[in-house]
Amino acid sequence: MTDAADTRRAATIPAPAAPTLRGILVSLLRADAIVQLRNGRALALGTVLPLVLLWALFAAKRATTLGDPLFLVASCLSLGMASMAVLGYSITVARDRETGVLQRLRVTPAPTWAIMLSRLIVQVVAMMAMAVVVLAAAFLFEHVELSPIGYVLTIVVLILASAVFLSIGQLLVGLIASADTLSAGGRLIYMPLVVLGVFGHTSLFGTTFEMVSRWSPSGVASSLMSGAMDPGASTGETWLAVVAAAAYTVVFAGIGIRWFRWTVR
Amino acid sequence: MVETAVENARPLRASEGRSNLALEVTDLRVSYGPKRAVDGVSLEIREREIFGLLGPNGAGKTTTLSAIEGLLRPDAGSIRVGDVDARTHPSAARARVGVQLQSTSFQSSLTVREIVRLYAGLYGVELSNAAILDALAEIHLDEEARKRFRQLSGGQQQRLSLMIATIHDPPLVLLDEPTAGLDPQARRQLWDRIERMRGRGRSILLTTHSMEEAQSVCDRVAIMDHGVILTVDRPAALVEKHRDDPQVRSVARGEVTLEDVFIGLTGRDLRD
Repeated sequence: MTDAADTRRAATIPAPAAPTLRGILVSLLRADAIVQLRNGRALALGTVLPLVLLWALFAAKRATTLGDPLFLVASCLSLGMASMAVLGYSITVARDRETGVLQRLRVTPAPTWAIMLSRLIVQVVAMMAMAVVVLAAAFLFEHVELSPIGYVLTIVVLILASAVFLSIGQLLVGLIASADTLSAGGRLIYMPLVVLGVFGHTSLFGTTFEMVSRWSPSGVASSLMSGAMDPGASTGETWLAVVAAAAYTVVFAGIGIRWFRWTVR
Repeated sequence: MVETAVENARPLRASEGRSNLALEVTDLRVSYGPKRAVDGVSLEIREREIFGLLGPNGAGKTTTLSAIEGLLRPDAGSIRVGDVDARTHPSAARARVGVQLQSTSFQSSLTVREIVRLYAGLYGVELSNAAILDALAEIHLDEEARKRFRQLSGGQQQRLSLMIATIHDPPLVLLDEPTAGLDPQARRQLWDRIERMRGRGRSILLTTHSMEEAQSVCDRVAIMDHGVILTVDRPAALVEKHRDDPQVRSVARGEVTLEDVFIGLTGRDLRD
């Protein structure tokens, strides 16, 4: 225990040096990356599911016509991104909000935007890694080969597509307070997202379904990516998909950020 | 313990100027919708002072702390942390404050060592692996360095939380019910740590429901209810001041205690 003499001797504590933004971002990114790597469910949903779908779709294609092989690969990427954003990102943020992790971060000098940006960057990088795995599997097992420019464009477009799905995740975590409710609600939204993304370019369920599917968030993302994979075959619809993706991102993220609460209390 | 802490209580001097203030809150007002949770609270925490904020549930203690921490935006009032205006420079103010929240948690997938590294980085403190282990050894958690936060006991979590709150050696530390849920041994250890922090020149603002805690470690306490501060003084002086108050006398069971003063001023009614 400190005695009174110690108390009198103690000098005034100088103000601590202010942390740099770079230091803050590096610390957040490192921690968020570790959390992402240790999240086994996110890893399984984000990587194994698209690979299973890839195998299933190409197996089905041998018997029926589900669509262009590039679109099938793009659909697998959409599935992976939807899984990561809707079942991974949003639920993790909701749980961290519920347990007070976000509040603890907020009382540090880290700006709130940096706390969220770090999480989003880690998600985008994870989606990129998933895309590399899926594209490699498509090349190795189904001989789907892109031109060098196709690979580059696909990676670039992936950023926009990931923004669409992450904005949906943000919308969910902005509108739903409870992590359990969000988990259940996320699954409800996830299924239609996947179905619309996978069957977006087929007329298996009629032209109305095809139209809805094609311009749904996941349908737009799949169109974007398949367009990027084969730049020579891109049409005006690909550019419309770019506009639609940007619009979805702005609207969903806008609502998700506007209504987001850092605490459930 | 109680006597020592009271003896150590630094006498208040009217001549102390603003430069000696670790925290100055003036006319703070915070509302939740139509409900005014904090209504004109003013308080000053001097350097090397342990200041306790007492009040029943819903009195506005945590709301006051949250406003100081920058977690919510006050309707009115000013908050100065040292010479920094916390409302206009929240990030700079946060760098000067260590915070232990009432219910806090860290990312469940991170180990204790990774948590320390994260928060050191957020406060701009560079720590090597050896330095992290040394810091953990000080709170007897070096053997738990590889464990996840959720694997720690309540007392261990509390020690880690307090260590992280002071990892950047802040001049001011805010503790929201720091001993809630702790066993007597852990509570005593925490009181010792709080007093050591004061010995190193820090100022501490803590909220508590424990009159024993307030008397044992606080130099001064404020009793708060319905969003306003009812009285502020040293614990012994509060008892002396309100000894003959009829409301206090009516609830006293023998010798008037700080708890009698508290209940006399805030009423017997149960709060949510």
